[in-house]
Amino acid sequence: MANAHSDHPAHLQHHFVSSEQQFDAAKMGMWLFLVTEILLFSGMFVAYIVYRTWHPEVFAHSAELLDPFMGGLNTIVLLASSFTVALGIHYAQKDNKKGLVINLILTFLFALTFLVVKYFEYTAKFEHGVFPGAAFDPHGVSHGVDYALYNIPYARQFFSIYFVMTGIHGFHVLVGMGLFTWITIRALKGEFSSAYYTPVENCGLYWHLVDIIWIFLFPLLYLI
Amino acid sequence: MSHAEHHISSIKMLSIVFGGLVFLTVATVLTAQLDLGGLNVPLAMAIAVTKASLVVVIFMALKWDNKVNAVIFGIGLLFVAVFISFTLLDTLFRGDLSNTTEGTIQDQTLEEEALKSREPDAAALEFNQIPQ
Amino acid sequence: MSESASGTINYLNHDKSIKSWLLTLDHKRIGIMYLIAVSLAFLAGGILAILVRIELMAPGETIMSADAYNQSFTLHAVLMIFTFIIPAVPAVMGNFVLPLQIGAKDVAFPRLNLASFYIYVLGAVIAMAALLVGRIDGGWTFYTPYSTSVGDGILFVTTGVFVMGFSSILTGLNFIVTVHKMRAPGLTWNRLPLFIWSIYATAIVQVLATPVIGITMLLLFLEKFMHIGIFDPALGGDPVLFQHFFWFYSHPAVYIMILPAFGIISDLMGTFSRHQVSGYKFVALSSVAIAFLGFLVWGHHMFVSGQSATSSVVFSLITYLIGIPTGVKVINWVSTMYRGSVQLKTPMLYAIAFLFTFSIGGFTGIMLGVLAIDIHLHDTYFVVAHFHYVMMGGNVIAALGGLHYWWPKITGKMFNEKLGKIAAGLVFFGFNLTFFPQFIMGAQGMPRRYYDYLPEFQGYHLLSTYGSWVLAAGLFLILGYLLASLINGKKAGLNPWGALTLEWTHTTTPPHPHNFLETPIVTRGAYDFHLAKELFATGEEVSEVVTSTH
Repeated sequence: MANAHSDHPAHLQHHFVSSEQQFDAAKMGMWLFLVTEILLFSGMFVAYIVYRTWHPEVFAHSAELLDPFMGGLNTIVLLASSFTVALGIHYAQKDNKKGLVINLILTFLFALTFLVVKYFEYTAKFEHGVFPGAAFDPHGVSHGVDYALYNIPYARQFFSIYFVMTGIHGFHVLVGMGLFTWITIRALKGEFSSAYYTPVENCGLYWHLVDIIWIFLFPLLYLI
Repeated sequence: MSHAEHHISSIKMLSIVFGGLVFLTVATVLTAQLDLGGLNVPLAMAIAVTKASLVVVIFMALKWDNKVNAVIFGIGLLFVAVFISFTLLDTLFRGDLSNTTEGTIQDQTLEEEALKSREPDAAALEFNQIPQ
Repeated sequence: MSESASGTINYLNHDKSIKSWLLTLDHKRIGIMYLIAVSLAFLAGGILAILVRIELMAPGETIMSADAYNQSFTLHAVLMIFTFIIPAVPAVMGNFVLPLQIGAKDVAFPRLNLASFYIYVLGAVIAMAALLVGRIDGGWTFYTPYSTSVGDGILFVTTGVFVMGFSSILTGLNFIVTVHKMRAPGLTWNRLPLFIWSIYATAIVQVLATPVIGITMLLLFLEKFMHIGIFDPALGGDPVLFQHFFWFYSHPAVYIMILPAFGIISDLMGTFSRHQVSGYKFVALSSVAIAFLGFLVWGHHMFVSGQSATSSVVFSLITYLIGIPTGVKVINWVSTMYRGSVQLKTPMLYAIAFLFTFSIGGFTGIMLGVLAIDIHLHDTYFVVAHFHYVMMGGNVIAALGGLHYWWPKITGKMFNEKLGKIAAGLVFFGFNLTFFPQFIMGAQGMPRRYYDYLPEFQGYHLLSTYGSWVLAAGLFLILGYLLASLINGKKAGLNPWGALTLEWTHTTTPPHPHNFLETPIVTRGAYDFHLAKELFATGEEVSEVVTSTH
């Protein structure tokens, strides 16, 4: 405690006593933030569960319109990005700048892939009038699927929930891409080392949470 | 300065976990194609919970983290459970005193439309309407 | 202002430029900026309240149309709840006092702290823009389908609430981490001032509940503009589900409003009774218990909404439980006064007033939690009176007590004690005159939010309106002498109240920019007056204190 000012690393802010205290505080703050994210999504999960318990057959029927292959692909893409983030932190802890930067870039590319796949999924739905809300009006036939069959009561609720949930999740992916751009630039400047990699760690935690949300969205919306 | 060592996850362990996650993803897609009756939903959720736990415990390194962070995370999950279960306490038992009409306004509208298409005469419609 | 510091450097005089205020990372200055912003919001909401009361002096139109009346009471509620009472104590006094009381140089994330202030201002401005757009007249609860079927003003209010939610979350997050990681050496959890315990419990609620109002506002917004059909019954949605979403946040939010007040009262009781707060651990943990139980009772707002009777019964039973930790607090406060030596200084007058007004608010809350009684009293003035006894009689009176208590620390000046006592009397009398008649007319069936009413209620309405004027007079008197104290107030000593918490014992008045010249080492609890006689050697009330402790 007494030598708070004597050896003073550049990243240590004045109101902290030690790097350790700063790291612990930042990480605890991040976990609290993750909890707020979980509770934000919990509202959507509640809406999903309530409507599913009320109209199980409508939900099971409507889910057939979503492509489990595309959803599964995106799940693996996100899992891979979680893996690369974890590797990135590993390399940061081992003072391996090259390993860190490569994995951060990979993570960014996986996130981008996820959004591209999502874009194709969305547009394929929009073409046949599967919109959230008032514009919901499934019609037309493609790949042997007659969309008009899905224009049933409470299908609107399913697709509203689908679009809002995946929309909010997609927004988080977008934010994650922004974060990884920022972190990559800082990593290239050599700001991180085994002594200080808090931002990498915290962005990683955020990214894993985005992955976890998707781990639940995927079976709920696409599979069951 | 106290310098507690941060845990460093080995690449081998991270790779094994990643492999496991991919395997579970494939498994959940395949099992969803089978008709397991009432088991489909619990199985899919069990797999999802397993995957999420792997990510939290290993990738997010909660296992080696400060205990307080695990407590925070647990409290977050607890309140999600509260939100879901207390809301279900209402929605699953809605109308248990038979003091509310069954179904929503949309149900009633649909019913009315069905009646109308069967019996276009307005007077007959009024006669037919079931007070529910 | 700087003369008060008699040449020493303090957080007010070390840099006086406007920029040093607007971009400050100092928790004390951020607290003061919050104080100014929150006071303006209180003024705006208060003016609307006075207008609403004047309109209700007689049945039929008095000063405004029914439309204007509906908009006035809605905006009064939105401003008072979201822009005033939720940030009031945590963001003003929490910010100023929390790091000082735990012996820290600042909160854990100073930049986040400043950001949350500006996010709050942005949200408040957006919410107030609704005034100009008009047409928000459905009450502060935004119940669907009414809220999604009228006017676009709701757009601004929901966006404003959404944005202010972020501010609240960030403040809560910051405080939790600060309490966990920034305490001075020796300051164990059992030695924390009770104000810290309650701010900590509040912060937990802020972090856990506020995200849900975020998603609720987002869904309401999408319901209104895209008709997603989750809440709108005409589209197959369920309006009662909206109420679940809304109250999952808004009931715990009531504890965001009242828990910090409990903390202030505990500090005042200890300090002005010159005695260890009775049942310290119980008082501390009861805050956490209230925070937890507060999440399990939201359905008691919905007894007549058509929710299932099963859930009504469960929610009603859990509501009774909240009475236990709350009762623990009240009984311990009374016991503290009984065992101590009470000094009737202005802040303590508010603490005693709180015991009366909050207890009435609390007991009527239990009444409303009783299923059968609630069916009769729901949406009557009884609910309005209960709510104001808890919020104004609880939070605002405690906040005034806290403001008077910490005013010398914040400004370095003493206010006029005599005027302070007169104002406290006016506030207490005016408050009761305003809201007690509302219990009676509510029980007799006067519905809330009505523009017109039966002539037999006019007597009560008149009393209530006269009371609101007395209350306003008291509040303006406070504003007057506090501002006057800045100009000609007596210089405050280091520890004018003889308190034992670190902000009084270990720093200058007003505090140094970095709070403490050296990190305090804590060796005793926050109210261990029996261990602390030596500290009063520099205080003003040394003789009083030494003779009154045992």
